[in-house]
This record gives sequence, C-alpha cells and structure tokens, in this order.
Amino acid sequence: MAHGLQRLTRAAVLTALALALSVAEGLAPLTILFPLPGLRLGLANLVTVYALCRLSGREALLILVARCLLGSLLGGNLMALAFSLTGGLLALAVMALLLRVPGLSLFGVSIAGAAAHNTGQILAAMVVLGGRAPLVYLPPLLLCSLVTGAVTGGVSILLVQRIPAPGRP
Amino acid sequence: MRLSAADRRRPTLGDGLVVLVVAAAALLLLAALRPKGTDSLTATITLDGQVVAQYQLAELSQPVSLTLEQAPYPLTIQIEADGVSILHSACPSQDCVRTGRITQTGQQIICLPNRLVVSLTGAGDLEFDAVTG
Amino acid sequence: MKRICFFLLMLGLLSGCAAPAAQSEPAQAQFFSMDTVMSVRVYDGPKEDAVQAARQAVEELDGLLSRTNPDSQLSALNAHAGDGSPVALDGRVSELLTFAKSISQLLPGDFDITIAPVMDAWGFTTDQRQVPDPQTLAGALALVDSDKLNMDETASTARLEAAGMEVDLGAVAKGYAAGQAAAAIRETGATSALLDLGGNVTALGRKADGSAWQVGVKDPQDTAQTLCILSMEDQTASTSGGYERYFEEDGVVYHHIIDPETGYPADSGLLSVTVVSADHTLADALSTALFVAGEEEALDFWRSRTDFELVLCTSDGRVVVTQGLEEGMRPTGEDRGYTYEIVRR
Repeated sequence: MAHGLQRLTRAAVLTALALALSVAEGLAPLTILFPLPGLRLGLANLVTVYALCRLSGREALLILVARCLLGSLLGGNLMALAFSLTGGLLALAVMALLLRVPGLSLFGVSIAGAAAHNTGQILAAMVVLGGRAPLVYLPPLLLCSLVTGAVTGGVSILLVQRIPAPGRP
Repeated sequence: MRLSAADRRRPTLGDGLVVLVVAAAALLLLAALRPKGTDSLTATITLDGQVVAQYQLAELSQPVSLTLEQAPYPLTIQIEADGVSILHSACPSQDCVRTGRITQTGQQIICLPNRLVVSLTGAGDLEFDAVTG
Repeated sequence: MKRICFFLLMLGLLSGCAAPAAQSEPAQAQFFSMDTVMSVRVYDGPKEDAVQAARQAVEELDGLLSRTNPDSQLSALNAHAGDGSPVALDGRVSELLTFAKSISQLLPGDFDITIAPVMDAWGFTTDQRQVPDPQTLAGALALVDSDKLNMDETASTARLEAAGMEVDLGAVAKGYAAGQAAAAIRETGATSALLDLGGNVTALGRKADGSAWQVGVKDPQDTAQTLCILSMEDQTASTSGGYERYFEEDGVVYHHIIDPETGYPADSGLLSVTVVSADHTLADALSTALFVAGEEEALDFWRSRTDFELVLCTSDGRVVVTQGLEEGMRPTGEDRGYTYEIVRR
C-alpha cells in the first residue's frame, strides 16, 4: 500500500516537473532564433528519459500522457495535443527500444528520441491538415534534432547519474 | 533492470551511428521532396508538330547547344539548367530570339517561320490555365 | 507488439496522405494555323474527337481566309479587285467580312480590314520588315477604305472597287475561328475546353472542379510575366499589343498595329488592350480597334455597350480594368510598379 502511494507520488512529481519544463520552454521558444514550425529543445523529454532509465516503461508512458493532457488544458488546444502526444509517444517508443540496444549512451538515445518526436509531430500535422505539405519541415527538423537531442542527452546523463532511483536509500 | 546506456557518461560509437542515421534520413527526405520544388522543368522542342528533343533541365550539368539544321531557317537553341533561349536563328522576323530566356513552367518560345515551339512544363502548379497576349 | 502496431498505423496514415488526387487529363493538340500557334485542350466528353473537330474547323477557315494561300476565297476576292466582277463566297467568309465592315463603321479610323497594302509596305506580312518610303506608304494608304468593299449578303458575294485593294482578316479571323471551334467542340458533347489561338484565349464552360477558368493577361513589358489573372467562363479574351510583332530601325521601334488614318504604327499611349466578350469575333476585332483608339475612346465605347469588358495597360504603368471583370480579377504586376484602376459605368 505504502509502495503504491510512493509510486503515485513519484509519478505526480515527475509529471509536474515535465509540465513545468515544457511551460518554461514555451516562455523562451527556440523558434525566435530559428523560425521553423515545431522546433523546440524538448526539455520535457528529460523526464521521459529519466523515467525510462530509473523507473519503468509503464510509468514513463503514464507521465507522458498525463503531461500532454494537462499541457493542452493549460494553454494549448486539441491540435497541439495531437502533435505533442503523437510526437511524445513515438519518442518514448523509440527510446525504450534503443535503451535496450547495447553500445549506446544517452546522447544517442536522446537524439533518436528527438528525431522520433519531430517525426511524430509531422505525421500528426499531416493527418490533421490532410496533406503532405508539413513534410517539407521534417528534414530541417531532423537536422535540428541532432543538436537539441545532444543537448538534452548531455543534461539527461547528469540527471540520471546524480539523482539515483527514487525511493531507494 | 540493467540499462547499460543509463550508466555511460561519454558518447559511444553507437551514438555516432544514430547521428548518421538521422542525418541520412533528413538528407534522403530532402532529396525525395526536391523534385516537387521548382527544379523539375522539362523543355520540349517541337518542329512542325514533331517532338525533336526533350530535356530535364535539372539533370543538365552544363548548358547544351542544340542546332536544328533541318529547320527551314536553321537555328541554335541554348538549354541551361535554369532556362531555355534561342541563341540565333536564320529566320527573318527574329521574334524567337527577342523572346529571350524562358525560365518558368507554362512559358513558350515560338518561331513562326520555322513552326517551332519550345515549351517548359512541370515544376509546380500554374496560377492560371492560359495566357492571353 | 503495441509499438509495432503503432508504427504500422503511422505508416498507413503516411501512405494515405501520399495518394495523389485523381485528375482527368485533357486531350490536346498544338498546331500551326492562321500564321500562329494554336492549342486546343478538351477536358470532358469525347475529348479526342472534340479536339480534332476544333482543329478541323480552324483549318477549314484558314483554307478560306488565308491571304498567302492563292487558292483561298480571300485571295480570289483580292485578285479580282477593281475588275468589277463579284466573287462568290462561302457563307462564313461573307458573314465575317460583313462583321468586319460593321466594326469599321462603329469605330471609324480605328479599324479597317483593307489595311493589307499598308501592312505589306511595312513588311509585316512578308517578314522583310522595313520603314516604307513616304511615296510607297501614301500610295498604299490611298487604297485603304472598307467602304469600297461591297458586300451582297443575300447572294453571298463581295467585290473590291479599286484595283490594288486587298483585304487581310488577321484582326478578326482568330476570333471567328474560336467561335467556329467552340461550336464544333460543343457539337461533340464536350462542355469543358480551353482554346489558345495565338494568344486569343477562349474558355468553354467551367473547369472539371466546377470553378471558372483562370486566364492570365501578359505583361506587355515583360512577356514572361502577367498583369493580372481573370476569371472566365464561355468567353474569349483577346489581346493586342505592339510587343507581339515589331522591329527596330535607327533606334526606333515599329510595331505591327497600323493606324489606318496615318499608315504608321498606332501611338495611342496604350501598351496592350485585352477585350473579354462572349462574342468571340467581337473580342478579337475590338482588341485591335481599341488599341488604335486609345484609352479615352476605348472607355467611351465600353460605356456605350454592354457586351464586352476591357483590360488596358497604359504606357505610364496603369492597368485599367472595367467593372465587369472586377470579380475574380487578381492583380499580379504590383511588384513591377503597375497600379490598378477599376472603371465603372
């Protein structure tokens, strides 16, 4: 019982953190520097990486879905929800797979996650807008994901190393 | 659960591979989307209703000079990656030479004395169905 | 397993997006006739048959109306000039001659199909272009008078009173051909087609998607560009401009639209005139006549009638559009310095 409560609290705290990170990121958007629709650093992805590494895939999924739903309630709309959920789920799936591949560090995992997130966003945009037009943004977004993925990868290494699995002594 | 990636502090060769895969995907996609841009113009040269030559402008690495000796008034056509023009023509009116270079889809160079039409097609949608004038 | 399903779902969505919208291709033909390039595109009905019917209608007329073909009816009329004998004509030829004469009477001094001797003096018909010497020009100009083209419509005959007179139907033949071709296309059952008879664009019906045809008006100062785009349905747009055929001598540009009053290229302050009308022949004739007439007279004539609309491009960079074309007109030359005016009745 106490264990379940602990897991719930942990997931809630991480969801709040992910939400705060994505709101914070929205305050200083990268698109000011580089006008490319859908471009962002992906700080909330840090939480997903952390949850995948230190908790479990199921909890990572739970946190992601909760974050996306709450995020769209906070200031987005249904379209933004579709984009972030598709991107986030695809990134989660790809990262969960790659974490099981030997010979990779969190740099590679994060870069693949960022690329998958962008791919998911664009796929969602193509479905919502009903055409191939959004596809032209994908190549530059993928190239940008190399940089944003490396940055969040570096940060996530620090995070995962410094903060041990919660709830353990 | 032991996840080796979670314990590494430095990038690995495998990371390099991920970077390469993502970059390659971006470039491949860019290449795949490119023909739908402005570069897939086709120049078609017809002499009295017969197609005598056809060029994909984007595929030209250097300008081509085509001389049509069989035309009633022999003429030389310059085909370049970004447009087509008539360099010189033995026709009396010279309207075709004066037309200058055509660079956009839907444009034509016409040499009436030779019954010659050079037309550009492809590359994007036209804003209109025909042009008067 | 769930992940694999997810990927497959995404792939399915991707391929669904990639499927191009089905669009029916027109049947088309491009051919040379009436000393120009023509193209016919038919989008519905028995397309191929309709294209061939249109082409045949045009080529048949060319056989009757060509001045360069010595076997044409027009050549026969010109050959008998001044000998007093009426020349028997096909009903279409006499209809067109009568119509051209009526335009000369409506716009005296602006339009005359007996201008041929002057055109020859300038070499626009022979492609040996030159400024004629004043005596040659005066002699040719003396022969220009469509009042001396006598028509007998009931007998379908015509006669040129003075020897040396010649008729050239270059200013009306393409418009008349457009009407004949349009009728031929309709007869096959096709309802959606686009004709380009040497820059005279005829729009039949509507596009396959139900919208009106979009027809660009060429920029006379940069023929690769357009001045504006017009919406058209069952109409012909005909454009006359000095940029179409011209030559330079001693630094002066001479173009092919001759003012029948002076015998010199018209200098009316207009660079081009586009006439849009459901009457195909009227559109063709008026584009030439109103180019010679100039802006003021052209607009006055427009106010006196309701069967055509105008786009005038003036030499001071104004594009004057009459109100009937306002709806569906899109200016496209603003970045080249053109200003647009709508003229109302």
